[in-house]
Amino acid sequence: MYDALKYILLFVLTLLLQLFFFNALQLGPYVTPLVYIAFIVLLPMKMPPLYVLLSGLLMGVLMDIGMGTAGLNTIATLLTAYARIWILNLIVGKEYVSEGGIPGIASIGRKKFLRYAGIMTLLQCAVFFPFETMNGNLFLHTLLRIIASWAITLLFVWLIALVFTHNNIRSQN
Amino acid sequence: MYRLLEFLRKIHVLLIFILLECVAIHFYANSTPYTRARLLSASNAVVGTIYRAAAGVRCYFGLGRENRHLTEEIIRLRNELDIYRLAFEEKQLQALRDTVISPYDYLPARVVHNSIGRQENFLTLNKGMRDGVRENMAVLTPNGAMVGYVLSCSDRYAVCISLLNTSFRASGRLASSDHFGSISWPGIDSRRIRLSEIPKYAHVIPGDTILTTDYSFYFPSGIPIGRVVDYKSVEETASYDISVEPFADFSTLKEVILVGNDDSYERMMLENETIGPDR
Repeated sequence: MYDALKYILLFVLTLLLQLFFFNALQLGPYVTPLVYIAFIVLLPMKMPPLYVLLSGLLMGVLMDIGMGTAGLNTIATLLTAYARIWILNLIVGKEYVSEGGIPGIASIGRKKFLRYAGIMTLLQCAVFFPFETMNGNLFLHTLLRIIASWAITLLFVWLIALVFTHNNIRSQN
Repeated sequence: MYRLLEFLRKIHVLLIFILLECVAIHFYANSTPYTRARLLSASNAVVGTIYRAAAGVRCYFGLGRENRHLTEEIIRLRNELDIYRLAFEEKQLQALRDTVISPYDYLPARVVHNSIGRQENFLTLNKGMRDGVRENMAVLTPNGAMVGYVLSCSDRYAVCISLLNTSFRASGRLASSDHFGSISWPGIDSRRIRLSEIPKYAHVIPGDTILTTDYSFYFPSGIPIGRVVDYKSVEETASYDISVEPFADFSTLKEVILVGNDDSYERMMLENETIGPDR
């Protein structure tokens, strides 16, 4: 049903995009897109939660090495990967999730995808930035960083989902 | 027993999640800027080449400005050369050469990776141990303003802590009065750093220059850091917090100069032996 090769390609692509494109973009102090989370967002709905968690671990650890963050990306990605099944069940519905497939824009609908990817990316940003700052005095600054980075991250996750599921639909026809 | 096993089977993902999360938090909480710099050094072995290619492309687009800077630099050096020529004619340079031996050595490098949007920003340079880069070398802009210092280096690359890193500390003094304090970055604006612990009786003038002190292991004395923009008093410590605009523009930084101090190792060893490493 789901093509392992395609997911390996998606993994490598999101990893490279994050390391060489988004980390090199200097969008000011408030915007740090965490676009690599698109990989976790787009994993098959039926994938066992343990495998989703381990995928999150692998992505987080590689990001930590690449960005020199020593655990920060892993902390955020593990939580997002763990919470994914709950978010999916909540937004898409248990019956639909158990049918499987990719949680893409076409398959679950624009509104549901926006809500699903929105919660996933918000969770990622809401863990990443407070842990990075670790300073209560910068509350407002951190809040602005979460919101701005979340918006940009969601935009790019949407674009990646469009490209990824577009190819999928074409290959199925 | 069976029930317990069944229960564990049900929550095994949660248990694994909690375990992994604890390990990650433990590792993150115990990491220092050195850990992070070492991670970056390790990944540079793989990704450094690509960073370098990308920096090459960016450099190409900055060639116009680079040329202008070089021309300015040539004019400045020519002027300086004229002064030295005059001095030489007056037989003064010979005397200078006999008496002064500089403990510093200089090395140019190119920035291949840089960030300003994070809380802990690091720079990666295209020179490493192979080129004579050592840990703790100072990093300055081509104009000589403070950028950071080298934390870790591999054969071909060096990772430096940037002035825009919340873990960065250095001492700085007011050029007009020699009162000194601690330089740090509050983590908000890349155009504002902070000079704290300046005593209340010091006379702070906006526009005054902040220079490095004689106490630093990393930086030579008198390196320009930035310009005073604003200051406010801190009641608890009876001191001023000064907001400083750094001279180095990190968003356009492409070339830097590394400065090594041959005496710093000897000094560090001596101070560690006498006062202990945790000063």
